[in-house]
Amino acid sequence: MIQLFNVIKKYGSGSPALDDISLKIERGEFVFLTGPSGAGKTTILKVLFGWEDFEEGQVLVQGINVGKLNAGNMHTLRRSIGVIFQDYKLLTNKTVFENVAFAQEVTNRDRKTIKFKTWEALKNVGLTPKKDSFPPQLSGGEQQRVAIARAMVNAPPIILADEPTGNLDQEISLEILKLFEELNRNGATIVFATHSQDILKLGNHRVIVLSRGKVVSS
Amino acid sequence: MNSAIHALLIGFRATIANVRANAQTFLISVVTIAISIGILGLFLIIFFNLNGFLASWNQQVQLITYLKDDISPAQKNNLEDLFKTNSRVQSTEEVSKDQAWQEFRLSQAERSGLELDLGFNPLPASYKIRFKMSDNRLLHISEFAEQIQNEPGVESVEYGKSWISRFEKFMVFCRVFLMATGALLSFGLILIISNTIRLSIYSRQDEIELMLLIGATPHFVKIPFLMEGMLQGLCGSLLSLGLMGVIYYYLKSEFQTSMESIARGMDFQFISEPFLLILVGASVLIGLVASYISTYQYMQVLNKR
Ligand SMILES: Nc1ncnc2c1ncn2[C@@H]1O[C@H](COP(=O)(O)OP(=O)(O)OP(=O)(O)O)[C@@H](O)[C@H]1O
Ligand SMILES: [Mg+2]
Repeated sequence: MIQLFNVIKKYGSGSPALDDISLKIERGEFVFLTGPSGAGKTTILKVLFGWEDFEEGQVLVQGINVGKLNAGNMHTLRRSIGVIFQDYKLLTNKTVFENVAFAQEVTNRDRKTIKFKTWEALKNVGLTPKKDSFPPQLSGGEQQRVAIARAMVNAPPIILADEPTGNLDQEISLEILKLFEELNRNGATIVFATHSQDILKLGNHRVIVLSRGKVVSS
Repeated sequence: MNSAIHALLIGFRATIANVRANAQTFLISVVTIAISIGILGLFLIIFFNLNGFLASWNQQVQLITYLKDDISPAQKNNLEDLFKTNSRVQSTEEVSKDQAWQEFRLSQAERSGLELDLGFNPLPASYKIRFKMSDNRLLHISEFAEQIQNEPGVESVEYGKSWISRFEKFMVFCRVFLMATGALLSFGLILIISNTIRLSIYSRQDEIELMLLIGATPHFVKIPFLMEGMLQGLCGSLLSLGLMGVIYYYLKSEFQTSMESIARGMDFQFISEPFLLILVGASVLIGLVASYISTYQYMQVLNKR
């Protein structure tokens, strides 16, 4: 499902952000991606959905050779991946509802389905009361939940989550984790990047540890 | 098919939102386009009207061959043969001394109200020769005139040579001038529109980036901007044509009567319909090209591969 072979990624000159990474994540698996700040967690996720190019190696996602994609067919990969960005990337001039609906508009769904699915996703993250608020009016945790709702609304087979509990207290973090576990039970492959030891302990899943761009344990 | 319409609809909604968010820039751009198209349109109007003059005058250009009074039938036959064998001649008309006098007297009477009676006929007989329309018709006329001039029995030849050739040169100049200004203005419009589109893109950078991140096709991202460019071209040209129309009808209602006294039967023309469509179409096309260029450049920057 997700495979990396000897991937090397450099930002400019200097030591590589990903240094000869090889990994295999099975279909339907739930894995934590952890490591200290700057280890390369975000970079791996970016490589997986084609936002950053890489210098060497091969990346296969859903049978797609990511390195071979170009601007014209990149969307085929990205439509099978839901991403929760470390900085959320919510549109500040759209309401919560519109933000979640937006992810479906770009894939040409009809309006009725969009409304229904958006409502369902917001219910899942407990944000229906805030559906008409704008992101700047929300707390960090609420914004994070909007980002999660947006990532899951298209029911993608793969979900990449970059620190989805970074801003949340223990109690809500646990709820969010349970949400991902539920998505996982429904068949989604989850890659969950976090540097919180608590979360790692709470979820009993495979852990991939990165350090300075290398896989330390997996 | 359905999804294509859907994409266009979403694109259109996004376009309207863009225009609202950048209303001022959009408006400035539209007005600039309108002014540019207006300049072009003005020249087109002048050009059309001059062309109308030229066409009606050109129709009247003919080679008149005046005959000596003592021309022999053989000499006449020789001349008529010359006319017939020249493939560029469209028609010949023989005007006898009597006819010429008759016509002259009629027009004279019309003008002054006086019947003229000299007791003899001072006018010569003549041939009026019309030539087929072609690019260097004037050259053929003058060549043929020279040939005829020295034939026996020919008194003199006449055609309005110098003013016509000058006028035709002027029309060539007009055509070149129109094309040059047209090209120059189009180029300027491309710069203006692409600049507006670029501003519109910058104000929506986050949204565009996100669209691509969540799996929008490049088309889906580009369509609203292409539509915005075309909309600018459309609004600009329609605005300018509307204004030109108003000015035209004002001038016409004010000056039509005095125009008619200068040139009888002259009707002041507006830009002809096909050219109206061409102006609007070209303006929309320019908008499309300009926005295509700037979206293309932006997408190149966004794609890190
Ligand atoms: N756009 C960029 N340009 C240059 N260097 C970058 C860029 N993004 C990341 N890096 C560098 O690559 C390395 C890995 O960064 P990355 O963001 O993947 O770390 P991370 O594990 O996600 O860290 P954190 O836990 O702080 O989010 C770091 O050294 C970082 O400075
Ligand atoms: Mg990170």
